[in-house]
Amino acid sequence: MTFDLAVVGAGPAGMAAALAAADRGLRVVVVDEQQRAGGQIFRRPPPSRDTAFRPSAGYAWAAGLIRRFDSDTRLTKRFGWSAVGALYDDDRPGVLELAVDRPGDGLRVIAARRLLIATGAYDLPVAFPGWTLPGVVMAGGAQTLVKAQHIAPVGDVVLAGAHPLLLLVADKLMREGVTVREVAFAQGVPKPAELVRALGAVPGHVRMLAEAGGIVAGLVRSGVRLSTRTVVTAAEGADRLSRVRLARLDRSGRTTGPARAVEAAHLVLGYGFSPSTDLARQLGCDLRWASARGGWVVAHDERLRTSVPHVLVAGEPSGVAGADHARAQGTLAGLVAAAELGHPVPAPAFAAARRAVRRAARFATVVQRLFAPDREALGRLATPDTLICRCEAVTRADLDACLAASPFISGVNALKLSCRAGMGPCQGRYCESGVASVLAAARGRHIGLGGSFAAHLPIRPVPLGDLRALDPDASGDRPGGDETPPGP
Amino acid sequence: MTPDPAWRPTRRRPGGTPVTVVVDGRPLPAAPGDTVAAVMMLAGASFRRDRDGGPRAPLCNLGACFECAATVDGRPLTRTCLTPVREGMTVETRERR
Ligand SMILES: Cc1cc2nc3c(=O)[nH]c(=O)nc-3n(C[C@H](O)[C@H](O)[C@H](O)COP(=O)(O)OP(=O)(O)OC[C@H]3O[C@@H](n4cnc5c(N)ncnc54)[C@H](O)[C@@H]3O)c2cc1C
Ligand code: FES
Repeated sequence: MTFDLAVVGAGPAGMAAALAAADRGLRVVVVDEQQRAGGQIFRRPPPSRDTAFRPSAGYAWAAGLIRRFDSDTRLTKRFGWSAVGALYDDDRPGVLELAVDRPGDGLRVIAARRLLIATGAYDLPVAFPGWTLPGVVMAGGAQTLVKAQHIAPVGDVVLAGAHPLLLLVADKLMREGVTVREVAFAQGVPKPAELVRALGAVPGHVRMLAEAGGIVAGLVRSGVRLSTRTVVTAAEGADRLSRVRLARLDRSGRTTGPARAVEAAHLVLGYGFSPSTDLARQLGCDLRWASARGGWVVAHDERLRTSVPHVLVAGEPSGVAGADHARAQGTLAGLVAAAELGHPVPAPAFAAARRAVRRAARFATVVQRLFAPDREALGRLATPDTLICRCEAVTRADLDACLAASPFISGVNALKLSCRAGMGPCQGRYCESGVASVLAAARGRHIGLGGSFAAHLPIRPVPLGDLRALDPDASGDRPGGDETPPGP
Repeated sequence: MTPDPAWRPTRRRPGGTPVTVVVDGRPLPAAPGDTVAAVMMLAGASFRRDRDGGPRAPLCNLGACFECAATVDGRPLTRTCLTPVREGMTVETRERR
């Protein structure tokens, strides 16, 4: 069977899109590699231990959206499946084949007339000495381990980075009885507390920051050290983290003075988010560089159409802008897909959806400006011995040696081919920003000029045998063929 | 030797019918709905080692970094942070990649 719309990602964007499209009569399938709908911000405990879902303050719509999505029987939902790429079938113009994989089930193909990329974002990786030590965890990771898996760190915790999500995580940890030693922000004045107050004055400010205001006060009351213009320069320990080093940044973003040591069993990093654009890249969608919106984002028109026919984008891959914006874009994308496939969409519905996107985008812009990562300063945290590519164990010195030996390398893809950074299982998601920083520093060129890693099918490692399912010439029986994959 | 676990259950963690997963030959208790990664973290089990023998541990808990990858029921490079436990599941961390 051929679906009208395949949605990859069941976060606010994907859920809103699927419902809007189904309301217009489209047959929709939604694929997410997590076990439940909600996306990263609304990650939930497994159903077996579910208590009532309480969205973070301000996202009042979340509970309703999730409930509607969960209970909607028109939608075909595939959880635990990863989208690993999409292909065009020459024999069936206008139909995309989305390859999906689940450990234990193997690879299947889903046919759809439109594809929506709603793959969200992940914590922005920043390489520095010792960041591979157990005990170092990303802010989103710490948050979801506590919130969805019900496990908490043992021992003292330091949080460091540049994003207000750190405050939410610090608060979550303290409520679990975890000792938080320090929260260090790379930004200078205004202090986080002042920033939060300033943002409170912006009408309809992003909700997360409203919450953050109260949290800052609580942290200070509990004696947690809150430092600004401070970065983590090293994570140290034998087999696990035991100490972090924190240093002051001067006005030009360079570390000054000696780093001080803080004993800690866990270091939580939150520098912001990188949009998940690998599926869009594999499809050949044009990307553009927008540092404040997360780095490489998927180019699109005002109807959320990418440069590739039949492929739409919504939520963080179009530029990190938070949950309200993701939901608004999702609704618009669902309507666009419906209209493109000949289902009537009244003009006022379109106009309302567009207005909602514009409204959410305005507020997002304020936050982006305040929390845009200083990529140059963060890039300097990697010393020659620092692993930039964690998968293939490529250090900064390795990259610099490659660059010195091949003076004509001017893009990250060429650098990847010559020194293996980005060729491991994570497919460069955790090193692209680091590789780009090293390249930019070595060549003295703007980071956006180095380009982005290309992505190829499969964008997640899939056992070789499974891939045969994609080869139409291999044999008559393609496991799964055109069928929809069985449910979970 | 297993070091003291760096993670503990929170108050909200339920009991429920226990499930057993076998990680590098060692049976570990799990609760339904746990991810394999969370069970291993609670037990202080080690994850993959890099090519210099350096220890690694889950970093992103959302499927992006592959630091939690292991061979699960014979399938290599399976992200344990995305994988819910099932009774009798076997996990091998010492894969050669
Ligand atoms: C860990 C984390 C925590 C966050 N916490 C907050 C917060 O507290 N407050 C806040 O305002 N913002 C937070 N954010 C920002 C967040 O990105 C947005 O607020 C919101 O979640 C974006 O919605 P989305 O629908 O675009 O993407 P997401 O919610 O990220 O949803 C994308 C979904 O796509 C799935 N996916 C991605 N690639 C594939 C694939 N190839 N195959 C199958 N499925 C795939 C993912 O599993 C995910 O469920 C957080 C982000 C992260 C990463
Ligand atoms: S912890 Fe990053 S992929 Fe599992």
